[in-house]
Amino acid sequence: MNVIETSELGKRYRRRWALHDCTLTIPGGHIVALVGPNGAGKTTLLTMAVGLTRPTAGTLTVLGGEPPGSPGALDHIAFVAQDAPLYRTLPVRDMLHVARNLNRRWDQRRAEDRLGQLEIPLSQKVGELSGGQKAQLALTIALARRPALLVLDEPLAALDPVAREDFLSSVVAAAEEDGISVVLSSHVLADLERVASYLIVLTQGQVRVSGPVRDLLDTHGAGLEEIALRHLRAGVPSSSRTEAGQ
Amino acid sequence: MTARTLAPGAGAAIGRRPVPWSRLAWVTLRQRRGLLIGGGALLGVFAVYMVVMAVIQHNAYAVVAACHPAAALKCQQLNNSFYRSYWGGGAGPVIAGGGAQTVSSLLFAIPVLLGAFAGAPLLARELESGTFRFAWTQGAGRTRWALSTLVLPAVVLVAATGAFTAIFYWYFWPFLADNQVSEMLPLAFALLGVAFAAWTLLAYSLAAFLGTLFRRTLPAMAVTLVGYIVLAMATALAIRPHYATPVTVRGWNNTSAWIMSQWVKAPDGQMLSQSAVNSLSQHAPPSVQNSSSPDAFTTWLTQHGYTLWQSVQPNSRFWQFQLTEGAWLLVVSSLLIAATVWLVRRRGA
Repeated sequence: MNVIETSELGKRYRRRWALHDCTLTIPGGHIVALVGPNGAGKTTLLTMAVGLTRPTAGTLTVLGGEPPGSPGALDHIAFVAQDAPLYRTLPVRDMLHVARNLNRRWDQRRAEDRLGQLEIPLSQKVGELSGGQKAQLALTIALARRPALLVLDEPLAALDPVAREDFLSSVVAAAEEDGISVVLSSHVLADLERVASYLIVLTQGQVRVSGPVRDLLDTHGAGLEEIALRHLRAGVPSSSRTEAGQ
Repeated sequence: MTARTLAPGAGAAIGRRPVPWSRLAWVTLRQRRGLLIGGGALLGVFAVYMVVMAVIQHNAYAVVAACHPAAALKCQQLNNSFYRSYWGGGAGPVIAGGGAQTVSSLLFAIPVLLGAFAGAPLLARELESGTFRFAWTQGAGRTRWALSTLVLPAVVLVAATGAFTAIFYWYFWPFLADNQVSEMLPLAFALLGVAFAAWTLLAYSLAAFLGTLFRRTLPAMAVTLVGYIVLAMATALAIRPHYATPVTVRGWNNTSAWIMSQWVKAPDGQMLSQSAVNSLSQHAPPSVQNSSSPDAFTTWLTQHGYTLWQSVQPNSRFWQFQLTEGAWLLVVSSLLIAATVWLVRRRGA
């Protein structure tokens, strides 16, 4: 089953194409690193995959043919947006209860156990948590939904190095325990290099590289960082490099 | 395909029934807890004041009502003192500077305050803080989430303001009882019947819609306030008088009606212009011109064959007018809520 499949997918915001002619197949069972500079279209691709935005052109299906945003897709895809938006005024306990009441699948014990291990008190207000704790809480909620696909948009951007490390090992552990597919985006490949088994490089709204990390290493005979860099450079004219905001 | 990924068909294992409304309702109520407390406190403060004043006023009015004959000077003085104390306020024993007139005008602000504070942040806060990316990607789906978020507070608001109207009736009853104040007057009409709840619902729906449209809470509140005032004024001045054709009645002493206009007819049946009436008043004898009684001139007119006429909406039309206004406000509010849901469905990230 392909967790995300796109064909000539495009998204235009007013006059700018955030994503253009993107044909892509992401097979299940991987931790997928979606890498590219700011403004490359990573967030656009992910928000379309989780059903928040509709494509301007082309087609997109998730979990082996489901339309994004459909009840079946919503049930099985957990999404953590950039900066892990959660209700800041709620205590952690009530935040869990909100998520529980908004989903048909929910594993309360799992959520409480994870928060216990992370030493995040249930009575604490979400807004009073540290950046790392908040990211972990968002991940806990996503995992308690028992998804088939976990989508994380720039989950590391706001975290300090230690919190990054902890967060990534949580993701890897969860992916192995639950057997879920994961798609993470980042503008820093180094963050994801060690955990990713599948790499997609996106620049200027187009896919430059897509494939299992092992295959890429074999064919290119270079380190992942180098492969990505080479393709990033190839896709961006060095003289007129612009970094449009996302 | 590895065995460890879950097939999408696994959806069947958890049934096809969507997330129940009761669970969505919990989410909505939990997130609006602050509003429930704040709005409840606002209504509660007024309600407690009105209950206390209602008891005092009913006792004071019982003395006025028991005075016979009502036309006697003693009774007139009692009645005047009752109004001075409890309607106009200022000289009252309990209230300083207040009175039912002041309280009523303060209550006018409640529908738009409650509505704007309850409605504007509903979606605007989610859009401002980015939490819509959480809420709209949960299993319940954004349409059901939006319906629960919009409809449940609306029901609570209508129930609370409806109950509040009942208390207001009790408080206001002595002034309506002897027709000193017509319940058709704009001052009273909007606080009675279904109007108070219906106007609150309108302000709420407008604020929710604008909050979703602007994606900002404060501008939505500000525009709601302005839009509400314009619509409420236009309704009282230009729309409500047309719910039914006014009735023409003779005499200028109708207290049990909302007066639209009044005019004087000459003995030959000709309608007099305002300037003709003014010039008549200047030609009246000095005893009439200098009289302290406001009725002196009109009495003089009728003695000389002139007739006085009024175009009025009688009190008997109160419920007809209430239901007409309630119905169109309900329709407009429902359309605004439907438009808000539509915006949520098509809005991108």
